[in-house]
Amino acid sequence: MTEAAAFQTAMIEIIKVGKSYPPNVTALTDISVSIASGEIFFLIGRSGAGKTTLLKLLCNMEKPTNGLIEVAGMNIHQVTGNKLAKLRQRVGMAYQDFRLLTDRTVAENIAISMEVSYKKPQIIHNRVRNLLAQLQLEDKHDILTGDLSRGEQQRVAIARAVANSPALILVDEPTGNLDATSTEQVMELLIRCRNSGATIVIATHDEALYRHSTHRIMKLHNGRLDSLTRGDGQGRPNTAEATDDTEATDGSDDEI
Amino acid sequence: MNFWFSIFRQTGRNLRQTWTTQFMTCLTVSLSVLIFSFFYLIYLNILSAGDKVTDDLRLVVYLDEEPGPEMQEQLRLKISQFDQVQEIKFISREEAYSRFAEQLGDNHDVLTDMPTDFLPASIEVIPLKTLRSLSQIKLFSEYLATLPGSQKVQYGQNWVERFYYFTQLLSIVVLLSGVLLILTATFMVASTIRLTIFARQEELELLKLVGATNNYIRTPFLLEGILQGLIGSLLGLTSLYILFQWITRHFSGAGFLDLFTFTFFPPGIIATIILSSIVLCTAGSYTSMQKFLRI
Repeated sequence: MTEAAAFQTAMIEIIKVGKSYPPNVTALTDISVSIASGEIFFLIGRSGAGKTTLLKLLCNMEKPTNGLIEVAGMNIHQVTGNKLAKLRQRVGMAYQDFRLLTDRTVAENIAISMEVSYKKPQIIHNRVRNLLAQLQLEDKHDILTGDLSRGEQQRVAIARAVANSPALILVDEPTGNLDATSTEQVMELLIRCRNSGATIVIATHDEALYRHSTHRIMKLHNGRLDSLTRGDGQGRPNTAEATDDTEATDGSDDEI
Repeated sequence: MNFWFSIFRQTGRNLRQTWTTQFMTCLTVSLSVLIFSFFYLIYLNILSAGDKVTDDLRLVVYLDEEPGPEMQEQLRLKISQFDQVQEIKFISREEAYSRFAEQLGDNHDVLTDMPTDFLPASIEVIPLKTLRSLSQIKLFSEYLATLPGSQKVQYGQNWVERFYYFTQLLSIVVLLSGVLLILTATFMVASTIRLTIFARQEELELLKLVGATNNYIRTPFLLEGILQGLIGSLLGLTSLYILFQWITRHFSGAGFLDLFTFTFFPPGIIATIILSSIVLCTAGSYTSMQKFLRI
């Protein structure tokens, strides 16, 4: 899919979204942004800025206090039942706390997202093998995830998020426990997913991840939108407010 | 992978992980079925024995004096006015004497000095099979007592009343054990499923997040309920059958049990008990799941 074609439609529309927790904790205030189909979008900010909250709203784990969120043209917080299940099958999320089933093997954990959409066992088996090879975890196929290191668990969580070839991939702090080589593998995997048409939202405070990219970067500060810029690929953020139009990209997106 | 393949795999995995709890639930269900079925089996057998006994039910009206042919016709008419009867038979004093002598058997010589007309004449009324309840029999007996020349009416009141109250008591026990079965089975299965849900909360939450439909999450638990109901009731009924075989082998031909043929449940009732158990267990499982899925 060419980037121009992919960017024609918005995958995510966030309009004046706010989120508060009782008694009076405001996690997000008036966030508005549109993320195009096939885009890689960075969400940055210090701890507590509201990155994880925004991702939770995007995958319908939580509901916004006010505002509207649309994913693939659907108001995700009004979708229920089987429609919500189908929508969630198209959204892969790698959680900051991994949410792995520690009494299941690596392969079982990755397969779970494909099993719920009734993929054939052979397809599941091949996809799991393929993902593990990409992340250099082939030898961990039958190991319980509880016995893995944090870094390995993180890669398994990412593999599970992308396994079902979702249209939207949300990744929360993907490289927090990874060395440089593993970080590179993870980013290569995510870029491959983007090249297959997936939209990717990465929440991170690891500057190395987005510093040299040409993707849009949204910075949150105390739950508010601090800046929305586009990386210039040289490590200098563009000071002008970034748009999601095709012309803004320079074709070097695949660099990390 | 189709829906059912996934579901059966999930169910198998659940059963493997929580087999001890599942086993205990199965035992509780089978015990409930055993208690209920035991009393129900006794109840059914007593009822069928009661049917046989009441087949022989006859009311005897003792008369002041022997009625002539015209009087017999009038009495016959009067009795038929109350209800249709199967048979009315007049017993003369002599006939009563010879019956009595026959009943005494070898000891009939005790009657040698007695006059042949010392026993009163009587009417034997055999009611229709429809006359079954104690109150109907009592009413009929009271009516017969008002017949002209009637001295006394007998139909084995004490025995009939005791039998009637015994069957009443038994039906209450059956009813109570039935309610117990419903409550125990439903409650136990609901609790087991709730415990399983609690133990697997993390996994179920994750399943929801990766897009599992409610049916995908719920169906394995419903299958567990069906299996618990099926296996529990089969275990209970098998235990009862073994107990039944043991009783018939050790007590047949002796005293009380010789009064009637002790039979096991017909296939229809066995199927109903199994089906009810399955329905109850599935209902218990369903309610627990609904609570979780609503969250």
